[in-house]
Amino acid sequence: MIDSGSVKQMAGHPFDRRDFLKVLGWSGAAVALSGCGNTSVEDGRETVVSYVEANDYMVPGVGVYFNSTCAQCDAGCSINGRVREGRVLKLEGNPDSAINKGRLCGLGQAGVQHHYNPDRVREPLLRNGNKGEAISWEKAYALIAEKLAGVSGEEIAFLSGGVSGHLKVLLGNYLDSLGTKNHFVYEAIAPSVVRAANLKAFGVEMPRYRFDKAQVVLSFGADFLGSWVSPVHFSQQYAQFRKGVNGQRGVLIQVESKMTLTGANADRWLAVKPGTEGVLALGIINALGMATGEVAELVKGYDKARVSRETGVSTGQIDKIAALLKLRSPSLVLAGNAAEGYAHGSQNAAAINLLNQVLGNVGKTIEAPVSVPFPQMVPSKGNTVALKNMNDGLAAGKYKVVFNFAANPVFTAPGAFKFKDNFAKAGFKVAFAHYLDETALQADLVLPLDSALEDWGTQVPEYMTEGAQINIQQPLMERLHANTRGMGDILLGLIKQKKADEYKGFEDYYAYLRGAVLQNKGALGGGGVEDDTFWNDTLTQGIVKLAGTTTSLAAHASAAGLVLPAAAEADEHFPLHLIPGVTASLRDGRHTNQPWLQESPDPLTTIVWDSWVEIHPKKAAELGIVEGDIVQVTSKTGSVKAQVYLFPGIHPEAISIPVGRGHDAMGRYAKGYGVNPFQIMDAVFEAATGELAMHETRVKISKTGQRVLVVKDEGSAGALQMGRKIAGRVSTDQVDLSKEV
Amino acid sequence: MSVSNLLENWAQVRHEHPNNDKPHDPYKWAMAIDLDACTGCNACSIACYAENNIPVVGKERFQHGQQMHWMRVERYWDEDGREFPDQGFQFLPMMCQQCEAAPCETVCPVAATNHTADGLNSQIYNRCIGSRYCSANCPFKVRYFNWYDYPTDEMVWPAEMQQQMNPDVSVRSKGVMEKCTFCVQRLSAAKVKAKGEGRIVAEGEVQTACQQACPTSAISFGNLVNPDSRVHKQWAAQQVELDKDKQAKNEEEEASELRGYRILEELRAYPSVMYLERVRESAV
Amino acid sequence: MYRFLRFPILLVGLFLAASSFAANSSQPALTTEDSLGPQVQQPIEFPHNRHAGLKDASDPAKGGMEINCQYCHTYARRSAVAGIPPLQKCIGCHQNIESVRNKPRIVELFKYWDAKKAVPWKKVHDLPDFVRFNHERHIKRFVEQQDRPVQEACGYCHGDVKEMTVARRQKSLAMGWCASCHEKDHPVVAEGGTPIAGQAYWYSFQKPAAAVDANTKARGPNDCWQCHK
Repeated sequence: MIDSGSVKQMAGHPFDRRDFLKVLGWSGAAVALSGCGNTSVEDGRETVVSYVEANDYMVPGVGVYFNSTCAQCDAGCSINGRVREGRVLKLEGNPDSAINKGRLCGLGQAGVQHHYNPDRVREPLLRNGNKGEAISWEKAYALIAEKLAGVSGEEIAFLSGGVSGHLKVLLGNYLDSLGTKNHFVYEAIAPSVVRAANLKAFGVEMPRYRFDKAQVVLSFGADFLGSWVSPVHFSQQYAQFRKGVNGQRGVLIQVESKMTLTGANADRWLAVKPGTEGVLALGIINALGMATGEVAELVKGYDKARVSRETGVSTGQIDKIAALLKLRSPSLVLAGNAAEGYAHGSQNAAAINLLNQVLGNVGKTIEAPVSVPFPQMVPSKGNTVALKNMNDGLAAGKYKVVFNFAANPVFTAPGAFKFKDNFAKAGFKVAFAHYLDETALQADLVLPLDSALEDWGTQVPEYMTEGAQINIQQPLMERLHANTRGMGDILLGLIKQKKADEYKGFEDYYAYLRGAVLQNKGALGGGGVEDDTFWNDTLTQGIVKLAGTTTSLAAHASAAGLVLPAAAEADEHFPLHLIPGVTASLRDGRHTNQPWLQESPDPLTTIVWDSWVEIHPKKAAELGIVEGDIVQVTSKTGSVKAQVYLFPGIHPEAISIPVGRGHDAMGRYAKGYGVNPFQIMDAVFEAATGELAMHETRVKISKTGQRVLVVKDEGSAGALQMGRKIAGRVSTDQVDLSKEV
Repeated sequence: MSVSNLLENWAQVRHEHPNNDKPHDPYKWAMAIDLDACTGCNACSIACYAENNIPVVGKERFQHGQQMHWMRVERYWDEDGREFPDQGFQFLPMMCQQCEAAPCETVCPVAATNHTADGLNSQIYNRCIGSRYCSANCPFKVRYFNWYDYPTDEMVWPAEMQQQMNPDVSVRSKGVMEKCTFCVQRLSAAKVKAKGEGRIVAEGEVQTACQQACPTSAISFGNLVNPDSRVHKQWAAQQVELDKDKQAKNEEEEASELRGYRILEELRAYPSVMYLERVRESAV
Repeated sequence: MYRFLRFPILLVGLFLAASSFAANSSQPALTTEDSLGPQVQQPIEFPHNRHAGLKDASDPAKGGMEINCQYCHTYARRSAVAGIPPLQKCIGCHQNIESVRNKPRIVELFKYWDAKKAVPWKKVHDLPDFVRFNHERHIKRFVEQQDRPVQEACGYCHGDVKEMTVARRQKSLAMGWCASCHEKDHPVVAEGGTPIAGQAYWYSFQKPAAAVDANTKARGPNDCWQCHK
């Protein structure tokens, strides 16, 4: 249905294009809302959609498709948006992208609800007591200039989520012009400990994983099908891995204390005692008997009996895994959130990487990554260390002007940081915001942003696949609200306050972007092509594919310095581990105000619109808790109350609460639904990297005496098949996959 | 209108099912879903909301069982009382199975749901009077009733969000039944295009929204009559025949090594969706 | 006594109550075969007869110009909706027609053009939103494949537009009226016996190989989902 001819033509006429993207014939509800009954016949009353000027491809009733980039997470999937009568209706994956190859996850699909969200900020707002007063952009810019006057670089802080592409360059230039080095990059959920461990073992932070080449995948809590790194890409590789070669289907073993979506798809799911992932990895190395030298020396003590005792995995199971890994090669071993979330997370990850190396996977299923040849454009990364540094500065009252963009630290900072109180100590707080979220509510000045479907930009994914690529983001329709601005345009406006001469050539961010891309035309594969042609082709494709530079991969995981702590002592007062659940659709909670995501059942529990506390049925029976009981979950830092869901996929010594819900601001679909486990997280840090150890919070639970009906989609039969073959299952020895299509 | 006239017309409506003298041709839309590839991620379901103007009903109505997800992902876990579900869960994308002998069709008092020539089970909103008999008679529970007038509900569809609605799909008002259509608006656009060019819709020319979104390509969809279509090849390889209520492969002495099956086949609804059993490794 | 009358009285009462309720409800009148649509007030009184009407051999200033419907209504053959031509199309011709440049309607037209505002034409043929008529398909079938004159093909539903000033609905556009045509046997080959590519394939489940001649007839599709979805 994609008429590439028309897309091409369209991109070639930027002026007409802008005209096309105007909302047409939208007279409120009347157009789309057709009830049933002949009351909707509006002869002589309704107006017909018509254009003033139109090109050949502008046909009412026919959708046109534009390529752009999904901004719902930073995996960098390319999208293809359907535009009709100037409205973007649906997002599909762009088949030409090596990352998502035409596919798009639920979170990505909901991008349109980010754009059309009724709770978006529409005007620049200036704090007046407890209220925000709409002001003009001129006044907002003037105010920022005024507040920055005479403030030294040391007294300015800029907090942002991960940024990449030209926006990162422009932001860097702006911070330079302010003379500040205080750029804190904070993504609440990021594989930062694994990155550090990988750097040590392989010489790169994020190698390229080849699930499609692996015969066995052993994942220690990496939810690569749900929320880890680049899930849509991994899902595609997973499908290939499952099909295998010649009917030899890939085997997935998942080791974690709380089942993730990936765990739910495993051939064998192993509930380990929280924090003992590394011990199991060393136990498997021992059982393999393939290690030599100091590695053999290291794992000598990890005999099956001890490992089984410490991890809770049976010795028979360890034998089976070792046998399978020996038999089927290459394999792939992954360290994910669950492994890295402890104070000894780096050690866990190091042990897991060591297992990879012993199995000889490095170079086979773990490949050298490629990156774009423009280091200034690769995404900036950061996690809680950055937030902690900023928080310390805020607590000391160091900052006179603070900026916040693409992060919501008031919501996601661990409760122990008391971030909200510290944030209040900053002199003047500017939030670039899409919603009035918890952080924006604390700001003095809120600047409304364009949605990703209205704005220009470039994006560089951290995780590249075949070759490197720079993703293009372009408007799929005109601004929904007249007074929002793109982040690039705002930064350009701000930087002009400081360096007017240098940037006067750029009327807007579009001009800047076009200039910057054309300047590097040669390096981007457009040598010898005319400027307009190259730019138009780039917009048409939505992706610039590059050969990229390949980093070399080392295999120096070693036993040196690898010490796993003894199993943690049970805490008498706080006997349970709190595992924050990261779900594929809500992630860190920035998209909770998109109703499709709220009503999309959690794949594992089928719960909608609310938070829950996962408890193993055995533990629940011990505590006298049944489904729907409201329990109070208390840590050293704080407590929350939520409904209980009895869930067999969790270790009995742990409970889990999903993150992402529990907003007390943001919008009508987010506010007041569920609880926020970030609030009760203790400040325990990973020893080597200093990042927050998200799985280290210990809690106790107590009944409140209240009980509710859990709102879920389990069906009236309680998700049981009642002896009928509804969801069929067969084991590999009963099936011949080689005959399949 | 005489009674005989009425009965005659009625009989016409009821005889749209393809039978021996009028087999499916040139189209029979069908699906195959590989449960071994399905990860339960819900992308299909959300894509369906986006394509088909499905209302988000909110927490309270969800609790009352009034959710409208045409495409839902069911989750099952093992019932053998083991401590942990150590072989994972089982996911099953469930939508209207477009039965050939659909139990819903025969009970509709006003023929608002009936069979199309290309093997779909159509639901005609403007004809529906909301008796809900069809839903009661559906073995798969994939029919959803509009208990409220969602289009005018500020929480469900605020003015801004109405701009996202797909103009090719009718918005349903209070009192009508709705269900998965196999994205009939896409099928019909593809058919119009092909007809204009004097050919039939080619394999891969049309995709349903769920199929297009699926990150693991677990869903294949196409024309079962077309021997070149992937869905035809899959059904053939799995030896699942559309017009059988007991597949020959299951009658054989030796257990079949094929994993294709249809849900509740024994009810003789002849669904158009074939599932491929999930596979679990026996060696670990 | 008279107990046996209670039930009938109750029934009569219910009937009266129900009918008075029904009489009060404000359903619009159903369209019938002979009803013409309302006379629609358009922002500019567009003379279809002047544009599409037959030429007057005696006085070229009086008759029409026999412009093909599809010259302006270009979307009809490319989209489900016929739409209204862009203003640019009107201006394209009228900027070169000095003779009528100062007529009030043309002055009005240029006002819209100068303001770069689309003319808010009102719908004349509006269907309920659950009905999806496809112009493209009908033009392809009758004009391109069966080679019928454009005005005839458009006229099946729109009436004799070349005789009208502002268009007015001529047919009921009710479902029964649509079905009356879909239930007729139509020839599938053009006059003169040229087979239409692949056309017979679409009707009565015939294979493309089946012989098609001037006597082959077929009906339009008649399942509900053709138009309601």
